Amino acid sequence: MSRKLTVAIVALLISLMLLLLAVYYGKFSMFGYIVKYLPLVLDGLILTIEVTLFGIFGGLALGTLLAIGDMYGGKAISTAIRLYVEFFRGSPIIIQLFIFLYVIPTLFHILIEPLTVGFAVFALNSAAYQKGYVKGAMEAVFEDQMTAGLSVGMSKPQIILYVILPQALRIVIPAWSNEFCSLTKSTAAVLVIGLRDLTAVGMTIVGQTWRILETYVFIAVLYFVWITAVTKIADVVYERKKIPGIEISV
Amino acid sequence: MTSTVMESRHLWKAYEAHLVAVKDVSFRISEGEIKLIFGPSGSGKSTFLRCLAMLTTPDKGDVFLRDVCLTKPGVDLNRARARIGFVFQHIWLFRHLTVLDNVELALRRVLKLPKTEAKERALQALREVKVEEWAHHYPAQLSGGQQQRVGIARALARNPDIILLDEPTSALDPELTGEVIDTLRDLAKKGTTMLIVSHEMPFAREIADEMIFYDEGAIVETGPPEQFFTNPQSERAQKFMIRLIKKTKRE
Amino acid sequence: MLGGVSTTLAISLLSLLLGLAIGLPLAFIRAYQRSSSFLVEGFEKIFRGIPEIVLMLLFYWGIGLYFPFPFKSAFFTATFVLGLRSAANQSQIFRGAIRGIGEEQMVAARSLGFSKLRSVVHVMAPQVFIFATPGLGSEYALLVKDSAYAFVIGVLEIMYNTNVIRKATMDPVTPYLVAAFLYILLTFPIATWLDTWGSRKKKKLGL
Repeated sequence: MSRKLTVAIVALLISLMLLLLAVYYGKFSMFGYIVKYLPLVLDGLILTIEVTLFGIFGGLALGTLLAIGDMYGGKAISTAIRLYVEFFRGSPIIIQLFIFLYVIPTLFHILIEPLTVGFAVFALNSAAYQKGYVKGAMEAVFEDQMTAGLSVGMSKPQIILYVILPQALRIVIPAWSNEFCSLTKSTAAVLVIGLRDLTAVGMTIVGQTWRILETYVFIAVLYFVWITAVTKIADVVYERKKIPGIEISV
Repeated sequence: MTSTVMESRHLWKAYEAHLVAVKDVSFRISEGEIKLIFGPSGSGKSTFLRCLAMLTTPDKGDVFLRDVCLTKPGVDLNRARARIGFVFQHIWLFRHLTVLDNVELALRRVLKLPKTEAKERALQALREVKVEEWAHHYPAQLSGGQQQRVGIARALARNPDIILLDEPTSALDPELTGEVIDTLRDLAKKGTTMLIVSHEMPFAREIADEMIFYDEGAIVETGPPEQFFTNPQSERAQKFMIRLIKKTKRE
Repeated sequence: MLGGVSTTLAISLLSLLLGLAIGLPLAFIRAYQRSSSFLVEGFEKIFRGIPEIVLMLLFYWGIGLYFPFPFKSAFFTATFVLGLRSAANQSQIFRGAIRGIGEEQMVAARSLGFSKLRSVVHVMAPQVFIFATPGLGSEYALLVKDSAYAFVIGVLEIMYNTNVIRKATMDPVTPYLVAAFLYILLTFPIATWLDTWGSRKKKKLGL
């Protein structure tokens, strides 16, 4: 597995380098035109990455809290969490973006900047999914490890912190890298609220150069490389951090 | 005058209307005593043991650890449980921690010992159960018998007043029970107060001061081991011992 | 608004079917034909590794220029893109199901003299379907939600109509809330029903 992995990463990096070189030297005269837009592309890519990272980690933190709240909070909190999850999982992200851009500011008479909307919505959205993964993982280890923890005199909060969560978070990793993929792809939606992410930049370039197919292919390749690279890294991390005895059932 | 370590008074625990696991059970164990509870499966023995450690809350009745009443509201159960060692049938070590960390965890987080002292005491406990060389491995890498010995070390490390063992060998392959039993024998020699639920009859005969026959939620008969092996008083105990002897004869 | 619902449903269901038609065979190919499996893997990686919006833009504006025949229609493009994405997802789902069912069924079928193809058709596929039902339920929900992306290329589905209404009525609140409600209505009941039906059927058959 590790050999295939090394080969894959090297192949990926090489092809990316070749692509950039070809673009730079205009060998693919098709793609040469992009060179002067590269700074713009970079900005777009950075925005996309920012939203993604904020979303996934924010989602993890919030999702874990939601999972704990759901397990221990009592009826009222559980129902509230259920509604939250159903809303964010049942509606398209575009709607959620619009709701945070128009509906909430109107109802509460506040101003929310598009950038904040982007960050907030993706974190909230991801949390709704991650809560499910974390809760499932916690329940998988829960019963017996909780009893064992009690038997040595630890309090419930201590047990959750030192015994249950460390195990649950390891179990969650594969589902997590899946969530990462989904999240990155959906960040393209921020263009509808005016944020200049990678896809929006693509549209701009198309608008200016009318090189439609080439541009979108280029953008697609960038996304592809980014997602594949991170997924592979997540796999590697999982292999390294794995503890014999804590595995996920596939 | 040996003092009572643990006591239950008129303890009740039921799961559903007809499933009474603990029926008005009053019981006492004193310092240095080793008592063994045995009986048909499903009779409620494990539930009773858990109630003593307050891992399960009894419906009615009181539990005492020395002079502290554990069933009173407002009692700090965590501190109480820190003075009771519990060994589980399915072991339940903390999978994500090394063997050493497993034993150390409670010492650091519950007794709040400093790192070096906790580590030393943990190693000491592992030495007593003879698994010291596995200190830096993970539970999944050990055999069942070794894991259970770590479980015993985990219970021992806090120098508890008493150790409760819930069928410590029942989940192990037959070849592995021996090492656990040897460990328990060593503990017995050191004068540890132990309350064991088990089916290991030869072992019971050897080290138990008193055996308790538990059936259908209640203590049916108590007495020194010899009593059960030669002349059980109650009919149910007689039936049980006969079945048990038949079974061991067949094996 | 409600006109949009029919379009949304059409996109979702058609892409689900397309995904099924392609994804199911792909899963079996990847499981049983080691030689072609890396091609399938490549397909999966591409259609799960690129945002749907980008793919839609690519096909509609880009490829549509050279092949106006199918891709002139935004509706077709959206369905096509989502269908392929779904195929990639479903390939994954069915592979999980195949693994869950285990080798024995296949071996048993072959031992009776069935060819690879016929074993798959008569023995594995029916079981795989039942096993994968919950996964398909969530895939359907995903497609309903992702159909909203189609509004970027101008398909007149719920999302597009919502914006139209908002511009017309100058009301920024109601249209979106109604739309959200509609989407939840479309995803929640069917996904939950498929989930329960699936797990019950699975239990009954001892899967």
